[in-house]
Amino acid sequence: MVLTPAQRILRALVAWAVVMLFAFPIYYWITVSIKLGRDIFAIPPKIFSFETSAKSYEEVFGISLGFEKGIAVLPGGGDFYMAPRLMDSIIIAVFSTAVAVLVATLAAYALSRMRFRGQHHFVFWILSTRMMPPVAVAIPMFFIYKDFGLLDTYTGIVLVHALMNMPLAVLLLKSFFDDIPKEIDEAALIDGASRFLIFRKLVLPMALGGIAATAVLCFIFSWTEFLFALTLTQTSLKTVPVVSSTFVTSTGTAWGNMAALGTAAMLPAFVFILLVQKNLVRGLTLGSVKQ
Amino acid sequence: MASVEYVNVGKSFGAVKVMEDISFTISDQKFVVLLGPSGCGKTTLLRMTAGLETIADGEIHIGGKRMNNVHPRDRDIAMVFQNYALYPTLKVFDNIAFSLQVRRQSKDEVKKQVEWAAELLNLTPYLARYPKELSGGQRQRVAMGRALVRHPQVFLFDEPLSNLDAKLRGQMRYEIRRLHDRLQTTTIYVTHDQIEAMTMADEIVVMRDGEIEQIGTPEEIYDRPANCFVADFIGSPSINFLKGEIQGTAGQQTFHAGGMVLPLPAQTKAEPGQKVTCGIRPVDIAVGPDGPVKAEVVLVESTGAESHLLLTIDGQEIRAVAQGRLRARPGDICGLSIDPATLHLFDAGSEQRIN
Repeated sequence: MVLTPAQRILRALVAWAVVMLFAFPIYYWITVSIKLGRDIFAIPPKIFSFETSAKSYEEVFGISLGFEKGIAVLPGGGDFYMAPRLMDSIIIAVFSTAVAVLVATLAAYALSRMRFRGQHHFVFWILSTRMMPPVAVAIPMFFIYKDFGLLDTYTGIVLVHALMNMPLAVLLLKSFFDDIPKEIDEAALIDGASRFLIFRKLVLPMALGGIAATAVLCFIFSWTEFLFALTLTQTSLKTVPVVSSTFVTSTGTAWGNMAALGTAAMLPAFVFILLVQKNLVRGLTLGSVKQ
Repeated sequence: MASVEYVNVGKSFGAVKVMEDISFTISDQKFVVLLGPSGCGKTTLLRMTAGLETIADGEIHIGGKRMNNVHPRDRDIAMVFQNYALYPTLKVFDNIAFSLQVRRQSKDEVKKQVEWAAELLNLTPYLARYPKELSGGQRQRVAMGRALVRHPQVFLFDEPLSNLDAKLRGQMRYEIRRLHDRLQTTTIYVTHDQIEAMTMADEIVVMRDGEIEQIGTPEEIYDRPANCFVADFIGSPSINFLKGEIQGTAGQQTFHAGGMVLPLPAQTKAEPGQKVTCGIRPVDIAVGPDGPVKAEVVLVESTGAESHLLLTIDGQEIRAVAQGRLRARPGDICGLSIDPATLHLFDAGSEQRIN
């Protein structure tokens, strides 16, 4: 399609407008984290020019960044010391993603390739577990976890996040495996390869994109999950979404600290997506283009 | 190398019976084509031979051994798929070597075998490439190379040429046949393309709706089709069918269709008054100014070397092929002469051959 210069400019403008629409809230949130408290709600809003401060970060992470001379950082970071909470979130998201993707990949391959009685019911049954609102099982889960001693443990939260991700991961990966021609398996079967060898050496490398895409979705879900992370933990671990609520105190809301933690919490997810990005794009377009 | 024997083979998918009581034998070193329209069961039969589908009823023997519960890898067969099914993450060398590596053959042996196959298929310059960097014909050859290195007892081809363009198809047809002549490995080749069947096969098995319609050499199938379906399926342009009736006594029978009367060959099993379908191949009709059967020209298509004519005789449409260019125009009346020996007579009810 040939565009006139006016159309080209218009297209660029619209594209930038859309980018702005998505990028601005993130920009604004980051600026809140480095603003002084009095500037956060200033009218008119100080969007581009304001006095910067690392105070919010210093309080949240309990370290002196050296910008605020003469102000001592409280030992242990004080009330808003959140570094361990960020670590909790990373551990839970990474391990729950790993568990979900590992199990779901094997399950999805089996569902895509093997025929067994009631297969279609099985797939529907997997999906149906997502139809129930999670809050409906929150209280039963609490008692189950209490009895099994999983309450307030990494294992417990990793398991619950992995289980919640599993149905979607299985279905998503199944569709990726379905896109890989069955004849490749059959050719390898005739060539003498075992099922597992076919899976490991031929199918898995072809499905990497799909696995990356699934992993990103699982990671983001676990990173932002609130309900179970709240009800199934007490003191020994807390994830970022849960502790964000502690910034609302009886003496006011610590917006700067909340923004600082939120900004910091964006980073691990950002890094994770960056790492799998190359595969991700391939995964999202897999099957849409004839090879 | 081995013979393949089918004994009362049957198959159903759920409640649908797709195949019943298939029995025939493919003798050692033969190139046999399973031919039929899509959905006739030819691919299913091939997949059952490979072990990719279970054999519901009956038995399949390869080299005299019953194969019903034998794993595909232990059947000593190699298969080439319609979409090639190359391993996209492996280079051409590893694609071809895969089956040997899986069987833990020594590196030297693998290299030797792959190089032999690559040489045979003109793939040597492409061994370090990935399948996606190859053209359709090259991919097809890699798929064949993968089958070759195994030195299997039987080659199975599942419509291997249908993804190629017409020119390449002709070339690969020739190459596959030449390869068979050289290696003499028993080959079962599935296709719906009657040209492929006619040009490549030692023997053709024509199938329809899970049943075998006829087995024979290409010449037998073409010259003496067993029924209307086979007659219609083989030959291009397809055969003309005229519906009519037999008259006269044995030795001097004639075929009557409307006002048209054709003398019949001396030996027929037809009885006077029998309703029949008469098949006439377009190439068996000689078109001239003064043949005994008058026909009106409707359309003339020239393919360069020959002319295809659409004619009508008493309202019945009939196709004829004439060599060279013909100066006929729509509306012209011309004369057709037909050698009685080339007529195919089928019973109008059962559609079975009666001459």
